[in-house]
Amino acid sequence: MFQQLVGIAPWTVIFTLCNLALTMFIFKRFLWEPVQEIVSKRKDLAEAQLTEAAEAKAEALAMKSEYEESMAKAKEAADEIVARAQKTATARSEEILHEAQAQAAELRQKAEKDIALERKKAVNEIKDEIGTIAVEIASKVVEREINAKDHEALIDEFIENVGEAS
Amino acid sequence: MDITLTGPKILFEIPVLGGIPITETVVVGWLVLAVISALCVWLGRGLTLTNLSRKQVIAEWIVETVENFVRNNMGGPKFDGYIPLVFALFSTSLISNLVSLTGLRSPTADLSTEAAWAAVVFLLITRQKIKTNGFGGYLKGYTQPIALLTPFNVLSEIATPISMACRHFGNILSGYVIGTLIYAALAVASAALFGLLPGLLGDLLSQIPLLNFGIPAITSLYFDWFSGFMQAFIFCMLTTMYIGNAAQE
Repeated sequence: MFQQLVGIAPWTVIFTLCNLALTMFIFKRFLWEPVQEIVSKRKDLAEAQLTEAAEAKAEALAMKSEYEESMAKAKEAADEIVARAQKTATARSEEILHEAQAQAAELRQKAEKDIALERKKAVNEIKDEIGTIAVEIASKVVEREINAKDHEALIDEFIENVGEAS
Repeated sequence: MDITLTGPKILFEIPVLGGIPITETVVVGWLVLAVISALCVWLGRGLTLTNLSRKQVIAEWIVETVENFVRNNMGGPKFDGYIPLVFALFSTSLISNLVSLTGLRSPTADLSTEAAWAAVVFLLITRQKIKTNGFGGYLKGYTQPIALLTPFNVLSEIATPISMACRHFGNILSGYVIGTLIYAALAVASAALFGLLPGLLGDLLSQIPLLNFGIPAITSLYFDWFSGFMQAFIFCMLTTMYIGNAAQE
């Protein structure tokens, strides 16, 4: 038994419609939805990874700027320390120099004073000796004792003259 | 030599409702359904996020191709609801057309099959038109641009599903008819050619249609493979384009 070559059989139409609906359902349930799900999941994953990468980059940049800042700070501090040390050293050296100069001046003054004192002493000694000698000479010359005290003024005058001559 | 071209064979009848005939078309249709279902289930199983298998690449390619086809022809993702229909139409049509390669009778060589599909498409076009313009607007559309043209508009509306069904059916049927003719003709030619051989050898060889090996494969390249793909593609193309047009105001 055959159907017509060109004709529409109602039951075949109904079966075909059922098959079409079933094919649609099976495609949707077993292929389309799982694939859509996995594709959207993969998209989410890729986006998440991109966001993560951007975040990591921002973090790295922040760390870099922080590091640069701290480096600049450290350099500044070092510069300050060096400057301060230099300043201290300069001040110290000047101080030492002043001190040395003062000391030297003092020493010189003392030495001059000493020299003057010694000279005075020597002059006095010589004065005394000359006085004594003069008295002796005079006593010998006049052959009488001359009171030293009486003639002290005379002697002094003489010595002054000697001092001026010497 | 007699050649008989028949419609689908009635394999048996279910004795309810005055007898439901189960034809070749129906049985092969179930077979096609089973093949597509198995493919869908197999392809859609064990999908992974990374390290895609070749199978998953194919599955994703199929889905993506159907999605792009529907979106490009209908205009955007708002028509995504039609994706299963277009996939079902294309896959069923293609497998049905190619099933003739195995010697089975194509379900698409039966006008009932295409008529069912075209009826579905016609209903969807009408539904889309009513959805877009309202029922009044839909009816008014028949009187455009002038009321005089109303009969022609109705005619062209009905012509859409009929032409879709007949185009597909005609192509596949012609392949079937020409295939049958070529087999028959080659059998005759084979008998005549090898009958020329003398004696017992000629008698023996003329009984075997030797020319039927190989030569029909060349015609089948066009009628089964090319035409099979083309008709499935054209049917889906028209479906999406008609529904897409119906959605435009």
